Amino acid sequence: MTDWRSEARLRDDRIAAGRAQADGKVVPATRAVDLLEAVLRPGDRVCLEGDNQKQADCLARALAACDPGKVHDLHMVQSGIVLPEHLDVFETGIARRLDYSYSGPQGGRIARMLYGGQIELGAVHTYLELFARYFVDLTPNVALIAGVSADREGNLYTGPNTEDTPTVVEATAFKNGVVIAQVNAIVDKVPRVDIPGDRIDFVVAADKPFYVEPLFTRDPAAMTETQVLMAMMAIKGIYAEYGIRRLNHGIGFGTAAIELLLPTYGERLGLKGRIATHWALNPHPTLIPAIESGWVQQVHCFGSEVGMDRYIRERPDIFFTGRDGSLRSNRAFCQTAGLYACDLFIGSTLQIDLSGHSSTVTQNRVAGFGGAPNMGSDPHGRRHPSDTWMKAGREAQITGDPMLMRGRKLVVQLVETFGDKLVPTFVERLDAMELAKKTGLELAPVMIYADDVTHIVTEEGIANLLLCRDADEREQAIRGVAGYTEIGRGRDRAKVEDLRARGIVRRPEDLGIEPLDADRALLAAKSIKDLVHWSGGLYEPPAKFRNW
Amino acid sequence: MAAQMAASTDPQALSWYEATARQRVVALADPGTFTEFLPPTERRMSPHLPLFDLPRAFDDGIVVGRARLDGRPVLVAAQEGRFMGGAFGEVHGAKLIGLLRAALDVRPAAVLILFDTGGVRLQEANAGETAIAEAMRAIAEVRSAGVPVIGLIGGRAGCYGGGGLIAGTCSRLAVSEGGRISVSGPEVIETNRGAEEFDSRDRALVWRTMGGKHRRLIGGADAFAADTVAAFRAAALDLIGRAPAFDLATLEAEQARLEARIARFGDCRDATEIWARLGVNDPDAVPAMTTAAFDETVARVEEAHHDAR
Repeated sequence: MTDWRSEARLRDDRIAAGRAQADGKVVPATRAVDLLEAVLRPGDRVCLEGDNQKQADCLARALAACDPGKVHDLHMVQSGIVLPEHLDVFETGIARRLDYSYSGPQGGRIARMLYGGQIELGAVHTYLELFARYFVDLTPNVALIAGVSADREGNLYTGPNTEDTPTVVEATAFKNGVVIAQVNAIVDKVPRVDIPGDRIDFVVAADKPFYVEPLFTRDPAAMTETQVLMAMMAIKGIYAEYGIRRLNHGIGFGTAAIELLLPTYGERLGLKGRIATHWALNPHPTLIPAIESGWVQQVHCFGSEVGMDRYIRERPDIFFTGRDGSLRSNRAFCQTAGLYACDLFIGSTLQIDLSGHSSTVTQNRVAGFGGAPNMGSDPHGRRHPSDTWMKAGREAQITGDPMLMRGRKLVVQLVETFGDKLVPTFVERLDAMELAKKTGLELAPVMIYADDVTHIVTEEGIANLLLCRDADEREQAIRGVAGYTEIGRGRDRAKVEDLRARGIVRRPEDLGIEPLDADRALLAAKSIKDLVHWSGGLYEPPAKFRNW
Repeated sequence: MAAQMAASTDPQALSWYEATARQRVVALADPGTFTEFLPPTERRMSPHLPLFDLPRAFDDGIVVGRARLDGRPVLVAAQEGRFMGGAFGEVHGAKLIGLLRAALDVRPAAVLILFDTGGVRLQEANAGETAIAEAMRAIAEVRSAGVPVIGLIGGRAGCYGGGGLIAGTCSRLAVSEGGRISVSGPEVIETNRGAEEFDSRDRALVWRTMGGKHRRLIGGADAFAADTVAAFRAAALDLIGRAPAFDLATLEAEQARLEARIARFGDCRDATEIWARLGVNDPDAVPAMTTAAFDETVARVEEAHHDAR
């Protein structure tokens, strides 16, 4: 007779073993290691929650402190490799195999460990891709997650940083897995139930509040006039021309400058209400002036941002909030929104090659993908039209009956021709290819593929790749905005001038923009303090961003 | 666009922190009265930087000249914090010292120094250190001759290293919230003493310890200006009017003031403790205070007002 309940029985065993360390569902931080050693089995697939923002850090420390004799050969399936403990477990043998998505701050160390063979790598994913695999072939046996508070029944309040939690719990709890949540506080009644208690098996009272990285805060004081110029070009040459209302921004200074130019430069161009009204975006502090001056109708968020909670509470018409008043974010839904419901993604990158492939990988760092490729790709599953999407589709010269045409999502790369330390952004060959060769990856880690990119904006101009009709035109269009890099100097001047005549390459003057007008005075806020003033004192920036 | 550009040079609107050295000087002085000595067209550049393959500035990062302030003649020097952090090199220092020595002949109503510096330029450290010492001596001579020397501090680079020493010899100092005054910078302290002693990335701590509000509260600066050129102009005029004599009595009073300060606050671990001892009701509220509210607080603090220096 077939046994249809072996997983369920194993789950019951794990929970029974864990209960010995708990008072009901509640476990003190001091017993967290014992709990994990009781629940985990060698070879388990484990999701240790952490992404580019919040971290289940108390549970990460506990996992790293487990006895490798008892807990070993785990298969980690988690979106972020961010804390040192996330990699320590591979050094001690607690973990062996890894499938992940983002590794910003640990990018250097993960590269060394991949070269050294200490990590058996499955694949580097985009967020949605990894979440999808949680439900198909990477379902966790045990999930270690983070929330703000829980009651003794396990009802969980994630707080504004809900992020990945619902997705991870859904995949684990409903497929015979065990869910362990660390919380900042055990309370009698949670402010709102983000995850019902019957999906949470254990609640660990953390020794300190979980860590959140303020990754989406850009200090206006550090914005340069070059970034102001590029933002002016993007607003006038792309946002206005395509009438972009639904969009997502990357986290760079360039896109933050666009946010700060909406109430000034955008206002002067008469664009209010016509562009940038609906967003899939984290609560960027630099969006405050646009919100306050009535540009923004609504914003759905992947996560929250440190210091923005009070402001969000007071702006429920703009943000998604719970009955308790605080933000409800959700990474999976917001990524889906960015992929299917936005007409534009604009972001920065470290390297672009001659066909337009881009990557944030350098030879010694594997930063992973996060969500940019989800937002920065043309979704073939999209069916609803919009003026923006249709105009871009027509520019791409879709042939055949117009009733059968597909539109195009705008995917814009906003880059200075030279990046940090004057390293050229435009290259013959991506470092990602070298890295793939050295680490034996089948695919080079490309952030955004060439066939998804529609425009490249640099301080020299805008290249519209939709209008390019062959690979040579595309290469010259890219060279034509690559400035004084080797790639830029290698342009065929006559061809670039021809592309300019056809509107494929456009200079600031072609857009009616005088570069000398690109002044920091145009920024609606010139400092973090200005943002605080715009927010009426509701934005509370973390200490590292204050100069008062 | 034209209106916007014009607006950004309006002294009422122009942010001191944002402005370049030349914008500050031009907007600070009576309109049209600033004449620059050794302007960029003279190409008096650093002889040392090419040895390090580093770019030079035509003015070596400092603007010096004469102007009128409320009709009265003044000499002005303004450091450009965006060029090598406003650091002192040989030419940079010589321009300041030359200006100070000229004051002995010209006898202006005041010399204004618009500090924006991280200290001495490492690539020309000997010349830079010498310049600091010579500038301090020159200021002593100018002040002895009865000409007040007023320091204005509110730039991005702050006033650090030798700049902090020179500021200490001025007759009076005005500072804005964004301005910082110290000798060792946050990163230097952290490097030498560890992040436990001073976490340079905790910017709130940096400003609490070295920023304009703290310096004003403990009497390290004598006027607090909002971050506009107009506010600094008003502060400069006010300070010229109440600059102390440079005599034995002033120096003895200054010595006594500093001794009393170290005795009273030497054991404090954080600026907020000092503010509490100064009698500020809600020390934690000081950093977020508006200029108006802060002015009221300062008015009630005895140590912020003194005749010494």
